[in-house]
Amino acid sequence: MTKSVLYLELDNCIGCRSCLAACTQCGGHDEKYRNYVVDVNPLVDTQTMPLMCLHCVNPACARSCPAQAIQIHETGAVLSARVEKCIGCQNCTIACPYGIPKFDVEQNLMYKCDLCIERTQHDIPPMCASVCPTNTLQWLTKEQLAMKKEQNVLDNGKWIASSDHYLENETNVHISLPGILQKKQKLF
Amino acid sequence: MEHDHHKDKTNENKTINKNNTVPFAEDNFTHNIKQLQERKLDRRGFMKTLVGAAGVFAVSTLPWGALAMRELSRDGEKQYAEKEIVKLDDVKVGEAVQFTYPSEHHTALLIRTGEQDVVAYQNACTHLLCPVFWDKGKEKLVCPCHHGFFDVTTGQPTAGPPQRPLPQITLTVKQGTVYATGVKRYET
Repeated sequence: MTKSVLYLELDNCIGCRSCLAACTQCGGHDEKYRNYVVDVNPLVDTQTMPLMCLHCVNPACARSCPAQAIQIHETGAVLSARVEKCIGCQNCTIACPYGIPKFDVEQNLMYKCDLCIERTQHDIPPMCASVCPTNTLQWLTKEQLAMKKEQNVLDNGKWIASSDHYLENETNVHISLPGILQKKQKLF
Repeated sequence: MEHDHHKDKTNENKTINKNNTVPFAEDNFTHNIKQLQERKLDRRGFMKTLVGAAGVFAVSTLPWGALAMRELSRDGEKQYAEKEIVKLDDVKVGEAVQFTYPSEHHTALLIRTGEQDVVAYQNACTHLLCPVFWDKGKEKLVCPCHHGFFDVTTGQPTAGPPQRPLPQITLTVKQGTVYATGVKRYET
């Protein structure tokens, strides 16, 4: 396991899409971005959030792959499809509840976020986290992550903003839920 | 709210079974998604090994072919050391003596077929290398193992399993002494 993890503070996102531009520049990404920025409430407000692969511990995409082309790296990152194994069935694009795996029709190959594995396996932050101007995407050590979680435990003892369990159970990428749940206004 | 939260937790623990255990135990041949546990020899690897081994064997025969080419493209006969065998007077007409030529591991027979006629052959049978002996009565070289017969004047097989002639040793007679000077190369 790497020393650091990716941590998302969704409410920091200003929709600059630097992470997408950085993603295209990562080696092996074939100049396609593999994370997405979505509008939270389109036409209502301008809040955006990054839509990232959460690198599930038990990933639906890899489980759905009939050719085992999606592999889990020793650091826990769920890798993009192996070129020599992927048969282009697109099961993973349907299986993922976040819609992260995308399909390249020309190459007949699925591509998804591999957490810039050539960087993160040496504990270098992924491209997206290294360029994010508002600290929406953060590359934190385990100690820093524990501190963040401590901040997010609210006084009422009910809500824990940083959960380890989302749609697909435990993940290797950690999220803080938006500040509206934390009942406090954030100053960046 | 707190009650519900606890209820969810207990339900989650109850429903843990083979399919949603985290991490999912998938150390098997048909569905393995951990990169570190990837099969060293899967079906494709086995086929590659098979074809690769065939290729290695094919290439490894080339040096022998090169040796054979060199041997066949040699211009003259191989040079052999001259070796004294026997005094001509010591062998009666129709008798044979055994000697070794060119090395001590190549046994050979010298047969005096006439007053001035001597022939010599390496006496390993060309079928399965049994020692051939000289049958004075039949005037033939006989292999006792499978009843192979060789003509004494040419060394050609006349009966039995051998297909190739015995290697003939060239002789010269100088002042009543027989010398071996070489071994004739087998010509098809």
